[in-house]
Amino acid sequence: MARSMWRGAIQFGLVTIPVKLYLATEQGGIGFNLLHASCLNRIQMKVYCPYHDEVIPRSETVRGYEYAKGKYVVVTEEDIDSVPLKTVRAIEIEMFIGASRDAAGTQFVKQAYYLEPEQIGAKAFYLLKSVLAEQNKSAICKIVLKDREQLAALNPFSTTMLLTTLHWPDEVRSMEELSLPEDQIEIKASEKKMAEQLVASMTGDFSADDYADDYRQALMAVIERKVAGEKPEPQARAEPTNITDLMAALEASVAAARTERSAEKAAGSGKPAKATRASRAKKAPKADAEAEEAEAPRQRRRKTA
Amino acid sequence: MQPMAGVAPFDDPRYLFEPWWPGVRALAWIDDGRLVRLQAEGLADALTSFAELADELPGRLMDDGVVLDGWLLALDEGGWLDSDLLRRRLAGDRAAGRPGFVASDLVWSGGEDWHGRRFAARRARLEAVLLDGDRCVVSHALRGEGTLLAEALARFGLGAISARRLDARYRFGAAGEGWLRVPIAPAEITERPRLALIQRLPLEESDTG
Repeated sequence: MARSMWRGAIQFGLVTIPVKLYLATEQGGIGFNLLHASCLNRIQMKVYCPYHDEVIPRSETVRGYEYAKGKYVVVTEEDIDSVPLKTVRAIEIEMFIGASRDAAGTQFVKQAYYLEPEQIGAKAFYLLKSVLAEQNKSAICKIVLKDREQLAALNPFSTTMLLTTLHWPDEVRSMEELSLPEDQIEIKASEKKMAEQLVASMTGDFSADDYADDYRQALMAVIERKVAGEKPEPQARAEPTNITDLMAALEASVAAARTERSAEKAAGSGKPAKATRASRAKKAPKADAEAEEAEAPRQRRRKTA
Repeated sequence: MQPMAGVAPFDDPRYLFEPWWPGVRALAWIDDGRLVRLQAEGLADALTSFAELADELPGRLMDDGVVLDGWLLALDEGGWLDSDLLRRRLAGDRAAGRPGFVASDLVWSGGEDWHGRRFAARRARLEAVLLDGDRCVVSHALRGEGTLLAEALARFGLGAISARRLDARYRFGAAGEGWLRVPIAPAEITERPRLALIQRLPLEESDTG
């Protein structure tokens, strides 16, 4: 059974709804360990004190806050516990907002958590969920996670609610240094129509199940082959068929059509087909472009790749 | 320059016929040995989506200060034209297929405006200055033989041909008779199904008399 990573209560007004939090996502990449190349044993990261010039156990470390260059104040567990925050064991709802995608500040998300109501608060939990869903609202709230107060959004999700932690405004970088000339761009109606058609042609229902991490699967296949004692071979790359091949195929199609025509003519008249068509098409262009104005370009016979 | 709609394939020595490539029409600006702009029809600069052309096209040109009129295409692994890949390319997916540019006309060359010259001269100049590469080619074309090209393209799976008057000058807007987009008619059915059912009518009484 999944292990909850936080236990507390949703609070707004006089309502308290006990809930547990579970991580909603996990890292999907393939993890590697660093080994010593000569013996293939895992290396260890030692905690080193340059002042004493010795490796120290992690238990001898404390947390320090650098309040000035090179100057630290030690912050203990007691200090953290003494912080007068209402949100230490609470998801404190500050306000409700419209749940649109462009709600200011809610785009910069950190981590998603599933909520599970404690039995005693299940009814209130689903009452809040149904109201948020029907009114298309998000709850903006605060919660303390990992010793930090976090801004978060609470939204109905499937049979539960999803708590999404957000970046604080001072953690969001400014766009001032980017070149964003939106005001200077003129868009013609025809351009917009073309873009709209393009968007319409690519519009569909998104389902994350339709997508897979192809790189991870391919890398895992390589690893499995190595574990089985096989030497992975470089993937043979298909020789790309280029656009000159397309032209060659077209020329072949023209030649086939011409041959068929000639055969039909010969069968119809009892005489061999005349070559006037081909000879006229093969006429070479003159060197002087101006002089060629009265002449047609030759039939193209470019080489194929 | 915009084509007019044609009715059916025809033969006429005053015209140059080529496939109507199922791509996006584009003007390619090459200056100072660089592809500086790729203006796709109805869209902004497609240079980012077709960045591979910037690597190849200038190197295949024997001239500078050139503007080419042609088609942006996307090819699948088998080298065939793929409109879905093209749409994805234009939407910014640079991994979608392999890009191609098929040049049909030349508007500027050597820093000179060639708008006012006849298509025969522009086309001859195009063939002289652009060497075929892996991604950039001059479109295959036939003079006068529109019906033959239509037959060939029908096997090729394309739906229209382009017919350009050799004496037409490059015109902004509608090209009039100077450029036609001619649909390829479906192949003729040589053997029509025969009516096999002959209904026997009852004889009149007087006939049996």
